[in-house]
Amino acid sequence: MATYLEFIQQNEERDGVRFSWNVWPSSRLEATRMVVPLACLLTPLKERPDLPPVQYEPVLCSRPTCKAVLNPLCQVDYRAKLWACNFCFQRNQFPPAYGGISEVNQPAELMPQFSTIEYMIQRGAQSPLIFLYVVDTCLEEDDLQALKESLQMSLSLLPPDALVGLITFGRMVQVHELSCEGISKSYVFRGTKDLTAKQIQDMLGLTKPAMPMQQARPVQPQEHPFASTRFLQPVHKIDMNLTDLLGELQRDPWPVTQGKRPLRSTGVALSIAVGLLEGTFPNTGARIMLFTGGPPTQGPGMVVGDELKIPIRSWHDIEKDNARFMKKATKHYEMLANRTAANGHCIDIYACALDQTGLLEMKCCANLTGGYMVMGDSFNTSLFKQTFQRIFTKDFNGDFRMAFGATLDIKTSRELKIAGAIGPCVSLNVKGPCVSENELGVGGTSQWKICGLDPTSTLGIYFEVVNQHNAPIPQGGRGAIQFVTHYQHSSTQRRIRVTTIARNWADVQSQLRHIEAAFDQEAAAVLMARLGVFRAESEEGPDVLRWLDRQLIRLCQKFGQYNKEDPTSFRLSDSFSLYPQFMFHLRRSPFLQVFNNSPDESSYYRHHFARQDLTQSLIMIQPILYSYSFHGPPETIAQWRKAGYQDMPEYENFKHLLQAPLDDAQEILQARFPMPRYINTEHGGSQARFLLSKVNPSQTHNNLYAWGQETGAPILTDDVSLQVFMDHLKKLAVSSAC
Amino acid sequence: MTRCPAGQAEVEMAELYVKPGNKERGWNDPPQFSYGLQTQVSGHRRSLLTKRVAAPQDGSPRVPTSETSPGPPPMGPPPPSSKAPRSPPVGSVPASGMEPTSFPVESEALMEDVLRPLEQALEDCRGHTRKQVCDDISRRLALLQEQWAGGKLSIPVKKRMAVLVQELSSHRWDAADDIHRSLMVDYVTEVSQWMVGVKRLIAEKRSLFSEEAANEEKSAATAENHTIPGFQQAP
Repeated sequence: MATYLEFIQQNEERDGVRFSWNVWPSSRLEATRMVVPLACLLTPLKERPDLPPVQYEPVLCSRPTCKAVLNPLCQVDYRAKLWACNFCFQRNQFPPAYGGISEVNQPAELMPQFSTIEYMIQRGAQSPLIFLYVVDTCLEEDDLQALKESLQMSLSLLPPDALVGLITFGRMVQVHELSCEGISKSYVFRGTKDLTAKQIQDMLGLTKPAMPMQQARPVQPQEHPFASTRFLQPVHKIDMNLTDLLGELQRDPWPVTQGKRPLRSTGVALSIAVGLLEGTFPNTGARIMLFTGGPPTQGPGMVVGDELKIPIRSWHDIEKDNARFMKKATKHYEMLANRTAANGHCIDIYACALDQTGLLEMKCCANLTGGYMVMGDSFNTSLFKQTFQRIFTKDFNGDFRMAFGATLDIKTSRELKIAGAIGPCVSLNVKGPCVSENELGVGGTSQWKICGLDPTSTLGIYFEVVNQHNAPIPQGGRGAIQFVTHYQHSSTQRRIRVTTIARNWADVQSQLRHIEAAFDQEAAAVLMARLGVFRAESEEGPDVLRWLDRQLIRLCQKFGQYNKEDPTSFRLSDSFSLYPQFMFHLRRSPFLQVFNNSPDESSYYRHHFARQDLTQSLIMIQPILYSYSFHGPPETIAQWRKAGYQDMPEYENFKHLLQAPLDDAQEILQARFPMPRYINTEHGGSQARFLLSKVNPSQTHNNLYAWGQETGAPILTDDVSLQVFMDHLKKLAVSSAC
Repeated sequence: MTRCPAGQAEVEMAELYVKPGNKERGWNDPPQFSYGLQTQVSGHRRSLLTKRVAAPQDGSPRVPTSETSPGPPPMGPPPPSSKAPRSPPVGSVPASGMEPTSFPVESEALMEDVLRPLEQALEDCRGHTRKQVCDDISRRLALLQEQWAGGKLSIPVKKRMAVLVQELSSHRWDAADDIHRSLMVDYVTEVSQWMVGVKRLIAEKRSLFSEEAANEEKSAATAENHTIPGFQQAP
């Protein structure tokens, strides 16, 4: 049986998709019995340095309810210049520009190697990118100084024609008017009262009609029809003044008495930012970047009061329904997040503090809009500074990797419907023949909006097979799905990325082995994990674990080879053999275990899990452990290092051994976003606990003497080992009682 | 001892460094990479292994791949080196706290060598750029001079400014811009107050240069056509 590993890898490299099943069960009933749903991880803007965009617009199917894009799966009559849509079978005339095509002169979009292709849209005004900084001034002096410097530095990293704006907040909220004259003015708002979008726009003077365009003068190439406002100015005009303005920012002047928290009006500050952009630049790429050093303590969206003796809510408080402000605050930020997404803008949260800052309540701002969430201890750390720099990383073409205002539109062949998506998106509520009534994730639609994304942003898309049992396999034997992503590239130009894929249908009764061989256990694990984490947001933790366990047992029952009631006979084929250990690690991961993490930390981990690509997601579930071997167990290496052998020239190979993991770590440190923490430790070191908490506790104080040999240090935990987990799993799978 | 100014390549090499993170403010704060290291194209990146090993299906306990001898670990020294050492990687992550090593070149860039071309560039722009902008740039150049003369700037900053000025004088705008960016990223505390003036100066010089080039082309073309723009033709 041919291995699908190469097939899976090639498809991921070319199309940015990983399917749980690569041969599809042909009936609805059989598909549900497969336990793992038919689903895929899609990276819409996967980096393709080898794929230059084509300079024309895509050809669409003329049926109004279809509008699929011409792709390699379509049948083409070159003589009659007609093509048949592979989704709805409509016959379409090629546009006049395609008059010269033939079998030997095909347009790129018909060639199989262009299953993924990108189009550049030539028409339409190109609006500049917008960056609106919303800055908390209730910070300690050195933190504020470090943040100010990072913001000043960012002005050198922004493109010259990007628009930039500044709102500062503490007890009051200040919207700074950016002018090139010497005098700096600002509009001050009370931080206690929320305002409607219209009130904000009125108070900022944004509701007057815009400056009339001078019709007589032809539009210069560097101008654009979008007038900048007093609050959002191009970097190339305002950088010197804004550098000074930032340099002069002071800590919030309102005194904070002993035992109190500073009054921080984050809710109103964000509200004003959203309203400002809504009134001036709707439907164009913009980032609201919130920098905060503590929790919101007054006004709408407050997460905790100003009395330090009343701590911010913990998971325990939430469980006991003792989180006073949580519901109301979450509602406030959800309202803002939904408005922002509707306007095509995104909200980033950069939260640097030693205590929680309210990420639990504010997470929807980043999650619904595709904005970033960064959590650190202080703005005066390498973690924040470098993470912030990396937002402005350029790709191989010298463009920013960030993209804006994306809409993802999915079409399926008749036998499939779309159940939903899980990732940094909102629904566009587009109903249609492709939309299933059974929802998984954000469902009830075939279109979603992703306002902020980059080449690693990945969505989980879940499908439903709707073909009736015993209905014949569709002619041609293949099902198809098309992913169409419209977006604003960082060069401000609009583009369309189209990916069209097909997979074989198979009858489960007769071809189960084929279907099994084409199972992608890595993708399946991540897709199930996303479902689990999605559930965990609204269900009780133990229920989610029970659900996960049940699915695992059912999967083993269906696909394991075993004799009934004989656990020792249980075997899984290669394409399933890793799946149980992914589930083992997922169950004990911070995504599903909130014990030992604050609500903010859990929100932070889940935020990143819901948008990373497959490789990174798997690393988050089960970190990869590299072993650099020499002679002797780790305890000896630590002793040799302490003795300083690496500094002696005759033991240079030891020095290289110690260096090798540092070099590999450096490669990861240079690429990962956000910048990770870096722990260099040794056996018995205090920081070793981070490693010990993750590895399989095959040896604990419970079983230390069970095997009768010492193969390493025991881990102090009550968690079961992978071995014990597998033993239980096998017992349950082979039991006829289940 | 002969003193020679640091060549551009040497300055660039020295700026591929890694500093430790701020462990006082952030637990396990990662090391900080210089701008040069961050923007290095990752062509040489080896893909680290991502395939995992499945748990043994037959239930036997996992035996570690590196053989361990039963009994107490050997207490002697590690085996001595016998192979030729491989070349040390550039800018490797420090195992313990390390100060950034600046390249050991003796001579410093001279202040006048940097300030004079910048002031000249500003003069060139006076006709083309708004007065207020020119004044603002001039103010910041004065601040640069003050800080330089006052010994407030570190050697790498001075060295890189010298290279920036060379690039500016050679009309290599992108290179000059990139150096300004690298200084803002790596030395923001030292340079933030005046560097934005230098940045603006590069932009204004670049725009002035392309305007002049365009005008020259235009006047060369019109010279052929025997017309002088802006003057009425005799009927």
